[in-house]
Amino acid sequence: MKNRLKVLRAERDWTQGDLADALGISRQSVNAIETGKYDPSLPLAFRIADLFGVPIEAIFMRD
Amino acid sequence: MRAKDHPAMRRYVRRFVPITFAYVASIALATFLVADNAPAGVLTIGLALLPGLAVLGWLWAMARLLVELDDEYLRMLEVRKMLVATGLTLAITSVWGILELFSPGIPRMPVFFVFPMWCVGLAIGQLVNRFGFGDAGDCG
Repeated sequence: MKNRLKVLRAERDWTQGDLADALGISRQSVNAIETGKYDPSLPLAFRIADLFGVPIEAIFMRD
Repeated sequence: MRAKDHPAMRRYVRRFVPITFAYVASIALATFLVADNAPAGVLTIGLALLPGLAVLGWLWAMARLLVELDDEYLRMLEVRKMLVATGLTLAITSVWGILELFSPGIPRMPVFFVFPMWCVGLAIGQLVNRFGFGDAGDCG
């Protein structure tokens, strides 16, 4: 699954650590999601979408 | 937050270290007090069970880690390590067991080695995470 997490994060000038703290997860997890090594669960995807104030499909896309 | 700073990881280490000391001490105690070929008595069995309790403690600590680790990605890394360890242990012990069954000349594998074998499997699982998936985690 592709995602726009890095772009959205950069638009807000957040580091991976900032995003991780905001989501209450490890920086390692943010990195794994951004690089496509790990697809988040639906609840975590919703939390990410809520944080950025956009729908899930604006962040995560089919390959 | 770095993976090794996760509260569940810290609690895991705080539990694991004293249990390890208890295991080593109880093995040393049993080795010192129980003579080779000693008859199975209350004292002998009691001393032999002490390291077993420590092993149960390790298993409890690992189970608590999975329960308390609320970061789903880190938990997935831990679970994958345990699956690799379980798969390797089952593969080795099952094949060896069948060899023992049909080849009387094959030396018997002491059941004692099953848990250490599984722990070696955890280390291999860590390598699988690192080189197979590009992330080892910091869970040790």
